[in-house]
Amino acid sequence: MENDRYIEEEESEINLTPMLDVVFIMLIFFIVTAVFVKEPGVDVSKPEAATAITPETASIFVAVTPGNEIWIDGKPVEPAAVRSELERLRSENPEGGLVIQSDQSARNQLLIAVMDAAKQAGIGEVTIAAGRQ
Amino acid sequence: MRRRHIAAIGTADDENEINLTPMLDVVFIMLIFFIVTATFIRETGIDANRPDQDQPQVVRESGAILVIIDNQDQIWVDNQLVDPRAVRAHIERMYAENPERPVVIQIGPNSTTNTLVGVMDASRSAGVYNISLAEGPG
Repeated sequence: MENDRYIEEEESEINLTPMLDVVFIMLIFFIVTAVFVKEPGVDVSKPEAATAITPETASIFVAVTPGNEIWIDGKPVEPAAVRSELERLRSENPEGGLVIQSDQSARNQLLIAVMDAAKQAGIGEVTIAAGRQ
Repeated sequence: MRRRHIAAIGTADDENEINLTPMLDVVFIMLIFFIVTATFIRETGIDANRPDQDQPQVVRESGAILVIIDNQDQIWVDNQLVDPRAVRAHIERMYAENPERPVVIQIGPNSTTNTLVGVMDASRSAGVYNISLAEGPG
């Protein structure tokens, strides 16, 4: 009598092991793919290019506004401080590439300054953001 | 006696099984956190390689296609003023003469990004993906 009831209780319990497996695999996937992207914090109107590609390792974003300000990680940055800012972001994500979101009417002087700073900070892959036509 | 024995074994089994519920809660909360914070950014753009300081000089001597963007956003290909729409045709023609030639863009400090990206796009459309950017006098 007691024995029967014991077996019945065992069978009515749902086996959680396969679900746990799935959940763990999803968790590991999301942890591995999580890139904590530092958005510049301003919207610019990007130039358009027919040959634009999608960079694979974009994780650092720098924006150059029409008013010729450089924005990194949600705040404006002096041109002289761009390098140290990029070095800080690079230390958080050494594999990440840089995307410069430069406004159509922004001056190229700042664009070149950011690219030079990226080179000095050791960032290999630099991309100028452009919308696909 | 027998009944007590079975009951005792049952209790022991229950205690040996680890209660997974709190761990499941934590795992689910972590899962939801990572799903929510996952940002799949789809940014498009053009590769930009900045050569070392002394490299442009060498490239120019070896016969690169030199494009100058001056401070008024005018485009000069091979010291010839060119309409922005005709840049691609010019680069294509020069590329056909010598397919090994890279494109060097000298950028005036006061020119705009729109012009620069336009020239880079034209060059890539013409088949020259080897583009170097240099700061020019403007």
